[in-house]
Amino acid sequence: MPRIEILSHEDDGRARQIEQALGRRGKTAAVRVVDVYTSENPKAQSPEFIDSLTNPVTQKAGTSYDQFDWALEIGYLPGVTDNIGHTASELLALTTHCIPRENGDLDATSKDPRFRGEDSAGVYSSRLYLIKGKLNRGDVEALGHELSNKLIQRATIKSRDEFVKDGGMSVVIPKVTLGNKGAVADNVDLNVSDEELKTIGAQGIKNPDGSRRGPLGMSLLYMQAVRDYFKKEGRPAKDIELETLAQTWSEHCKHTIFASPIDDIKEGIYRHYIKRATQEIRKKRGKNDICVSVFSDNAGGIIFDDEYLITDKVETHNSPSALDPFGGAITGIVGVNRDCVGFGRGAKPVINRYGFCLADPRTKPEYYRDKAKANPILSPETIMNGVVRGVEAGGNCSGIPTPQGFVYFDDRFVGKPLVFVGTIGLIPREINGKPGHKKGAKPGDKIVMVGGRVGRDGIHGATFSSVALDEGSPATAVQIGDPITQKKFSDAIVKEIRGYDWYNAITDNGAGGLSSSVGEMGDQSGGFHVELDKVPLKYPGMAPWEIWISESQERMTLSVPPENTDKLIAFLARRGVEATVIGTYTDTGRALITWHGETVMDLDMDFLHDGLPETPLKTVYVAGGEDEPDIAQPKDYADTVLNMLSRLNICSKEFISTQYDHEVQAGSVLKPLQGPGRVYAEASVTKPVLTSSRGVVLSQGLAPRYSDIDTGAMAAAALDMAVRNAVTAGVDFNHLAILDNFCWCSSDEPERLGQLKRAAAAIYDLAVLYETPFISGKDSMFNDFKGYDAQGKEVKISAPPTLLVSSIGVIPDIEQSISLAPKMQGDLVYLLGETKDELGASEYYDMNGALGQNVPRVNGAKNLELYKLYSAVARNRLIASAMPINLGGLGVALAKKAIASQLGMEIDLSGFALRPDKLLFSESLGRILVTVAPNNQKAFEKHFGSFANQIGLITNENKLNIKNILSVEIKKLDEYYKQPLKDY
Amino acid sequence: MTAKVLVLSGYGLNCEEETLFAFQHAGMKGVIRHINDLIENPKELEDIQILAIPGGFSYGDDTGSGNAFAQKMKLSLWEHLTKFVERDTLTIGICNGCQILTNLGLVPALNGRYGERPVALTYNLTARYQCRWVDVKVGSSKSPWLAGVNTLHIPVAHGEGRFMMSPETLAAIQNQVAFRYIKPSLLSSRTPQAEGSHNNRGDSSASPRNDTLELAKGQFPFNPNGATDDIAAITDHSGRVLAMMPHPERGMFTWQRDDYDRLKDHALREGKTLPAEADGMALFKNAAAYFEVAKRKSA
Repeated sequence: MPRIEILSHEDDGRARQIEQALGRRGKTAAVRVVDVYTSENPKAQSPEFIDSLTNPVTQKAGTSYDQFDWALEIGYLPGVTDNIGHTASELLALTTHCIPRENGDLDATSKDPRFRGEDSAGVYSSRLYLIKGKLNRGDVEALGHELSNKLIQRATIKSRDEFVKDGGMSVVIPKVTLGNKGAVADNVDLNVSDEELKTIGAQGIKNPDGSRRGPLGMSLLYMQAVRDYFKKEGRPAKDIELETLAQTWSEHCKHTIFASPIDDIKEGIYRHYIKRATQEIRKKRGKNDICVSVFSDNAGGIIFDDEYLITDKVETHNSPSALDPFGGAITGIVGVNRDCVGFGRGAKPVINRYGFCLADPRTKPEYYRDKAKANPILSPETIMNGVVRGVEAGGNCSGIPTPQGFVYFDDRFVGKPLVFVGTIGLIPREINGKPGHKKGAKPGDKIVMVGGRVGRDGIHGATFSSVALDEGSPATAVQIGDPITQKKFSDAIVKEIRGYDWYNAITDNGAGGLSSSVGEMGDQSGGFHVELDKVPLKYPGMAPWEIWISESQERMTLSVPPENTDKLIAFLARRGVEATVIGTYTDTGRALITWHGETVMDLDMDFLHDGLPETPLKTVYVAGGEDEPDIAQPKDYADTVLNMLSRLNICSKEFISTQYDHEVQAGSVLKPLQGPGRVYAEASVTKPVLTSSRGVVLSQGLAPRYSDIDTGAMAAAALDMAVRNAVTAGVDFNHLAILDNFCWCSSDEPERLGQLKRAAAAIYDLAVLYETPFISGKDSMFNDFKGYDAQGKEVKISAPPTLLVSSIGVIPDIEQSISLAPKMQGDLVYLLGETKDELGASEYYDMNGALGQNVPRVNGAKNLELYKLYSAVARNRLIASAMPINLGGLGVALAKKAIASQLGMEIDLSGFALRPDKLLFSESLGRILVTVAPNNQKAFEKHFGSFANQIGLITNENKLNIKNILSVEIKKLDEYYKQPLKDY
Repeated sequence: MTAKVLVLSGYGLNCEEETLFAFQHAGMKGVIRHINDLIENPKELEDIQILAIPGGFSYGDDTGSGNAFAQKMKLSLWEHLTKFVERDTLTIGICNGCQILTNLGLVPALNGRYGERPVALTYNLTARYQCRWVDVKVGSSKSPWLAGVNTLHIPVAHGEGRFMMSPETLAAIQNQVAFRYIKPSLLSSRTPQAEGSHNNRGDSSASPRNDTLELAKGQFPFNPNGATDDIAAITDHSGRVLAMMPHPERGMFTWQRDDYDRLKDHALREGKTLPAEADGMALFKNAAAYFEVAKRKSA
C-alpha cells in the first residue's frame, strides 16, 4: 500500500516553529518535517505523482533519514476533512489519469462505474516530525498534545529503536466504514411516560443497543407537543422527523429565549426592543432611511451608494471553538462568509471581521469535563492560538481582507471562549432588472445542493450549541473547514452565475444542514419534497436522519427552475464544483422526504415552523457591584501608565493583524495598525468599490466586565463605543447601522434573564436616540462551562453577560478618514467629552483588585450632540488625528497616541478637578481625543464650543509629559504596549 | 490595438479583479479567465500579449504554495505556455502567482531552460503569515517591467515567501534578480520633512541613489520571510517573465499606502494635491509602454 514520505530541508519554517514550541518548555531539539501521503490506490506509487508532491529544492522523496531520537506523526481521524489529502487526490488524478473520489472512499451513491474501481481510492495526508534532542516520551507526548487535537487527529509516537524495529511508522488509512448498510429510518415510540419523553429530549433517541444518539435539546413541553402531533396524525414518528423538529425548534435556530413572552412583554425581547427600535428609526428617517433588508435574510443590508448595497452579519461559534479552537473558528468564519453569499441573490464577501473573548493565555487553569479528571479543558493558550489560526486560514484562503477585530480577556471565558466572526458583503441594488436583495423559492423549482459532500460531521451542532458544555458534549459536533471548496462555488455564484438569473433563491447550509436550509426555503414556496438518496455522500452507510441534519461544511442550497438545472450543474462542474438536484419545492404544505422511494418524513409545514409551544419567561433583576474602593494614589504615575499599557485588554494585538491579510482586494484605507508606531486600531476604513470614493467604516464595542455592576450600563457602553469609534474614524453619522450579538449565560435562570431584559431595554433607548438601526443580530444564550476543578469538585463557570455591538457605516470620501496617529509637532491636543468619576469595573480598578460601583453611564443626549458636530467637521478635514477613549481611559489613550506618532506630547491636566488617577483612568463614555493643526484652531474651537478642551501639544521630544504627573519616554511606552503578546 | 491581458482565476486564486483593474488603469484591455476555460481553449494565449497570474491561495497552499496549480498548468498547458513566453510577450506572477511561476519553472529559466525548478519559495522563517508594508529596490535584471523603477514601497502578504536556492543557482541568477528587500532608511523616516519626497512616483529626483540604499540583510521585518539574499522577485533570463512576492496592485494608488493618513494630512497643510498613483502602478504602466513602443516600431 503506497505510503509516500517527503522529507523537507533542515531549515524548514515549520520545523523552526516546533523547535520554538519545545524551547518554550525549556527543551532543545532539532526537528525535521516529513510530509506523508497514504493511499490504497496502486497508482499512487507512480513517479509522476510523487514528483508532483515534491519540491526539488527543499524536499526529497523516499529518502531514509535516521538522525533522530523520536518520531511523532499526526494524521486525521476517519471522516475528518483532510484538505491536503483532497489536493493530493487531485494531483493523483492529474498525473495518472485516474479519477479518485475525495478522500478515497468508494462512492456508493455514484452511478458512474469509474468511481467504483480501486483506482478511485484517494489520498490521505499526515505529517511526521523527526525530533533529535534529549527528550523523554512524556515530552514528546506533550508536544503531540500541543500539535494535535484528539477529537479530530491521531498522534503516534515511536522512539528511534521502535521506528527501526518496525521498519518505520505504521501505515494508517483513516477510511470511514459505517456498519449500518441498508440504513433505514426507524420508528420512535412517543407513547411513553413523561419521564422517558424527557430523557429522549435530553439525551436523544435510543439505539437498539441501548445507547443514545445524542441530545435533541427538547424540553418536556416540546416533546409533549410532538407526541400530540403524531397522535393526531395517527402514526408513529420516524427518527428523522424528530431530529428535524429538534433542529428547527432549537434555541440556535428559533431564538426561543428572545422570542418568548417575558414578564409582561408578550411579544418578547427581540420584537419589543431590537426590531421595534429599527422600525421606529426607519419611520422617523422616512426617505433618508438607509435600511434595505433587515432581520429577514442571512445578513442585514443597507445602502452603500446608488449602485450597491452593503450587507453585514456577525455570528458566534463558541461551543465548537471550546472543543476544537481551530476547527470552530475556521468553520465560523467560512460559515458567516456563506451567510453573505446567501444574502439576497448572493452578495460578494468583501471584508471579514473577528472578535475573541478569552482567558489569559499565560495561565494554565486546571479544569476537567469529567469527575474522573480524564478529560481536561484545553489551555487558554491552545484556545487562543487555535481560534487566531482558524480565522487566519479561513479568511486568508478565501481572499477576504480582515482589517477589523478585537480580543478581550477575562478568566471567566476559560471553559467557553466567545468567538465572533463577521462578513461584510457587496451586492448590486439591481440584478437583471430585479432588486438584488429579493429572492424566493417557487413551487416547481428544483432543490439543488452545491459544494461539499455530506458526511457525519457536525451532527447535532445546532442543538448542542443551545446547551451548556459538559462531559456529554458530542465530538461529532466538530467540523473542519475547507475554504477552497467554498471559494470555488462562492466565486462561481457571486462573480458569474448570479448575473445569469438561473436561480430564484439561495441560502447557506449552516446549523441544521439541509433540514434548516431546505426547511427555510420550503417555507417560501409552501412545501418541499426531498429525495434523500440523491444527496452525494462522503462515504456510504449514513442513516437518513444523519444525512438530513449533517452540518458538513461548504454547501449552499439553491432553488432552480427545472429548465435551468442542467446548465447550472454543467457550469459549476467546469468550476470544479459539484451540484446535485435533490428534490423539488412544492406548495402542498407538507415537508416530505423519501428514501429510495419510501416516505420517511411527512410533516405539516405549519407545525414544523410554528408548532413549538410558547414558553413564557419570568425575570428578576438584581443590581451588582460593590462599594467604591478606597485606593491609595499611585506613587509613580509613569509606572502605573506602563502597567496599564501592558494589561491584556489594552496592549497591542499586532501579532493577529500581521497574520490576517488586510490588503487583499486592494481596498484597505485605514488599516488595523496605525501610525509609524503601529497602534492596534478600533476602527477601519475600506474601499469595497475601487472606482468609488466611498469607504466602509467598521468598528465594534463591548465591555463584558461592566455586567458585574449593571448589564444595562454594559450594553449601553458597547453601543456607544461601536458608534463613537466609527464616528471618530470619520463615518457619516447619518449613514451608520449596528448589529447586536448577545452572548449570555445560564439563560434558564430568572436573574440572568433579568439582566438580559435590562440590557435589551438599554440598547433600545440608545439606538433610537442615536438613530442607528439594528440590521442583524444573533444570540448565544448558554455560555457556561460545567465541570470539575483540580480537586474534582463540581464547578460552573459562566461567561460574563456580553453584548457585542458591531457598527457599519459609510464615509462619503475616504479622503475624509481620520486615523488615530498624531501627524505633526506643534499640533494641539483636545479632549472632547466629559470625564467623570466612573471607574466601576474599569481596567484600573481591576488592576487594583477592586470592582466598585460607579460604572460608566452613557449620557446619550450629550453624546449625540458631540457626534453630530464631529461628523460634520470630519467633512471639512479640520481634525488631524482622533482616537476614541475606551478601556483604560485618557491616560491609556494619550500613551497610545504618543506611541502611534513616535513624536511626543506635552499635556497639562491641571484644569480638571478629579484626582489624577481617576482623571487618567476613568472610562467615562462619549469621549474622543483629537489633535488639530494650529491654523485650524479657531475654526475647530468655534465649531465645538464648550466641548473643546485643549489639554496640550504634540512635541518632537520622544516623551509623553503630563505636567506634575508623569514623564515617560515613548520607547518605554512602546515596549510595555507591545511586549505582552508579541511572542504568540 | 492596445496590449491585451489575460488574468487567470480559479481554485483559490483571489486577486484577479484588482490585478485586472491595475492593467486597465494603465490603459490596457483584459479579461479574467478561469484556468479550466483556458485549458479548454488554450489557443486564447495566441491572442494576448500579457499573462498575469494573480495572488491567492490556489489549492489552499496544500502540498506547497503554488505547487498544485503549477502541476495542473504544466500537465495541461505546458506547450502553449512555453510558446507564449518565447514569443515577445510579458508574464507576471504576483505572490501566489510568483509561487506558481517558480514551481512551473518559467523562472528563473537559466539560459532559457524553461521547466527546470532550481528555485523554491518556502515557509517564512517566522513560520507566520506576514501581511505588512516593505521597501524593495530593483536588482540587476533588465526586465521591461522594471524600466525606470528604483524603489517601491509596497505590501507583502504571504506565508511561504522565502526564496531558497543553492549557492550555485544564486550566483547564476544574479542578473535576474528583480527586487531585493531593503531597510526603509530615510525613505520611511517618521520626520515629516523627509517624508514629503517619500518615494512617490513622479518625484524620483528626491529618491536616493540605488547604491546608497541598505539591504535588509535578512533582518525581520524588513526582509519579512528570511529570503536568501533578500530576494523579493526574480525574472526569467529574458526579463519578460517577472515573479514577485510583493503586491504592486495593492500599492498602485496613494490612498492604499500605509502612510496615506500622514501623506494626505501634510498635503492638505501645504495646499498640495497628492499624486493619485503610487509606486506599484509603475509596473503596469511599463507593461503598457512596452507594447506601445513595439507597436510604434512595427508601424
